[in-house]
Amino acid sequence: MLQRIVRWSRKKSPWILHLNSGACNACDIEVVAALTPRFDVERLGVLLRATPRHADVIIATGPVTRQIKDRIIRIYEQTPDPKFVIAVGACAMSGCVYRGAYNIMGGLDQVIPVNIYVPGCPARPDAILDGVVKLLGTL
Amino acid sequence: MNDTEIIEKARTLLGDKILEVSNPAVRRIFLKVDSKDLLKAVEVLKNDLGFAYVATISGLDSGESFEIIYHFGNAFSQLNLRTQVPKTDPHVESICPVIPGAILYERELQDMFGLVVDNIPDPRPLILPDGWPAGNYPLRKDWKYERPPEKIPGGKP
Repeated sequence: MLQRIVRWSRKKSPWILHLNSGACNACDIEVVAALTPRFDVERLGVLLRATPRHADVIIATGPVTRQIKDRIIRIYEQTPDPKFVIAVGACAMSGCVYRGAYNIMGGLDQVIPVNIYVPGCPARPDAILDGVVKLLGTL
Repeated sequence: MNDTEIIEKARTLLGDKILEVSNPAVRRIFLKVDSKDLLKAVEVLKNDLGFAYVATISGLDSGESFEIIYHFGNAFSQLNLRTQVPKTDPHVESICPVIPGAILYERELQDMFGLVVDNIPDPRPLILPDGWPAGNYPLRKDWKYERPPEKIPGGKP
């Protein structure tokens, strides 16, 4: 019974952390556009948190620079279980135009496990929403 | 003060320290000095010709030697001060005693080219990530980057 309530609340109100791992800011603007009144995910219970310790879902953008690699692992470890990661944008999937450069890791999945990939350069807010909904569908 | 006046004044003040001088376009002056005379030249440029603003310092790997280009500006003109150091002994004097703000560019030069800037007030690495292996200088032409094998979660289909 308790399990069902926990699952229901997790599904109804995922708290997200927006994380930039060296993106060019385009994907970040789209993530913010998804949160603000035009697309307004807050009406669906999605809440942006300022710290990984409150978050369930990490929405990460960017190709993961070498400098942020250790920090991103620390942020991932600080997030309480069960945690989910959404890689937003072509950079977070594979490195995109930065692929092969010496200062990046080339994708979020090289560093932490990823649940959902959202393609696009930058990904549209509707695509990000779709990614979040697909993630919640797997719960 | 126009370009010819600036060049004339630089010639009188620096004399035979100037190795080459050219004026390829209006408001663009190229000067070349030996790396030993660099600090003196920068001092003269700043105090007597008003070139107090350093836009940036760029490095150039031209095979056997490094070329270092100091981009100066004053109210009338842009001036590029060039100097050359051999790759086997890449030492260049810091210009921080004259222009303290140049330290960021000099630290970047040390990071990216492996130049040794003598008498730099703060020689810590600036832009390369933490734990970068020593002796790797990304902007050298002979430096090759080996990408580590990529992890594919779930394996290749």
